[in-house]
Amino acid sequence: MNIDKESLIEVNNLEKHFGDLHAINGVSTKISKGEVVVIIGPSGSGKSTFLRSLNLLEAPTGGEIIFEGVNMMDKSVDINKHRQKMGMVFQHFHLFPHMTVLRNITIAPIKLLKLSKEDAEERAMKLLNKVGLADRANAYPSQLSGGQKQRIAIVRALCMQPDVMLFDEPTSALDPEMVGEVLDVMKSLAKEGMTMVVVTHEMGFAREVADRVIFMAEGKILETGTPEEIFTAPKTDKAKQFLASVL
Amino acid sequence: MNAAIYAANFSEWLEKYKGRFINDFITDNRWKYLWNGLGVTLKITFGALIIGVILGFLVAAIRSTHDKTGKLRILNFICQIYLTVIRGTPVVVQLLITYFVILAPLGVDEIIVAICAFGINSGAYVAEIVRAGIMSIDNGQFEAGRSLGFNYAQTMWYIILPQAFKNILPALCNEFIVLLKETSVSGYVALQDLTKGGDIIRGRTFDAFMPLIAVALIYLVLVMILTKLVSLLERKLRSSEH
Repeated sequence: MNIDKESLIEVNNLEKHFGDLHAINGVSTKISKGEVVVIIGPSGSGKSTFLRSLNLLEAPTGGEIIFEGVNMMDKSVDINKHRQKMGMVFQHFHLFPHMTVLRNITIAPIKLLKLSKEDAEERAMKLLNKVGLADRANAYPSQLSGGQKQRIAIVRALCMQPDVMLFDEPTSALDPEMVGEVLDVMKSLAKEGMTMVVVTHEMGFAREVADRVIFMAEGKILETGTPEEIFTAPKTDKAKQFLASVL
Repeated sequence: MNAAIYAANFSEWLEKYKGRFINDFITDNRWKYLWNGLGVTLKITFGALIIGVILGFLVAAIRSTHDKTGKLRILNFICQIYLTVIRGTPVVVQLLITYFVILAPLGVDEIIVAICAFGINSGAYVAEIVRAGIMSIDNGQFEAGRSLGFNYAQTMWYIILPQAFKNILPALCNEFIVLLKETSVSGYVALQDLTKGGDIIRGRTFDAFMPLIAVALIYLVLVMILTKLVSLLERKLRSSEH
């Protein structure tokens, strides 16, 4: 791992229990500024739970998450303030159906960052232009295709100008022909130097864009390394099995 | 020949009813019992509506917060007692208790008593409607709001409640119609509402038919107006989605 780079998120011995289920079992890792980390692994491996723990959507039952020098699990921490700096994109988009696209994107900057409506909309339109959806600003989510919805969801998160973007299987609910348009947005985001943590089954994306790939199984990080290392020379049997089944 | 007899019978019948109508509604300005009664009914209904909605949303917020996060256990327990007692006893009994046991000894005005009693009653039903509406919204909406940095209350206010409100509007409307009609028992605490007004006329003229049919018609028209207004609102809300 790159030591000279500033670490943005530091996870130490993370634990998550759902009743008897031990979903995350002592996970530790560091994510540096500008790094693109892709998490892969079989279903039920805890990768989504791990990602959702990073902004405490899932409350961990043990360990530490240090984001920008602050331990997020400290009771005295205002988690809402820190979540503003962590954009999140969901598998099922979760756009707000009662708001226009523009409102979806601007409501958080207006209400939370206290931006004026004009400033927020200017910021939103710039981002919409970038993802090629400026003409849909006044549409409602129900009028959009899945790929468009997901690009809007990415813009919604970006409009808060987060320091890191978390992607939870962003293309898994899309029709195959729409996967590309979403991955393209993510690739250009990575090129711009955004720190990204991505849970995905898109191995092509992992290979091409990731600085580091983490392989998780049974709630643990079994392997971590460059895409080259993980995809061409997996060390563990579980990783070999998994990669054989998806590649 | 027959036609002439029918015509004569008809005009005789008409005369009779005209007489009853005049006796029931015109003599001594008896229509004023209905008019003033209608005013009382509307005052009670709208007063109770406001209390019911505020109380209902409050209770629903507490209950669904408890359901979602496990917090507010004591408040949730109090709410549950409230819901059980209110929904488990007849509204007339609640009205009588509110009046004779709690508020009459303090000399509170009857209309205020009725507004409180019906408001507290309606709040219990509104609460369960609103709670069902909140729980019907996909949890992903909630997570999306929280992930942007909204706190629990902001997520509720900006994201969950507007969507829930649209879903529960028909059920809420139904509750308001029930409330309007339920106020007809206000006569139990000496209030001269619409129903009581009709009844007073019956007492004066010994004619039950006309005043009671008039009362029924007025309720019917009120409910129809209310239904129409809500369907307009519903259409407006729905059009905002497309």
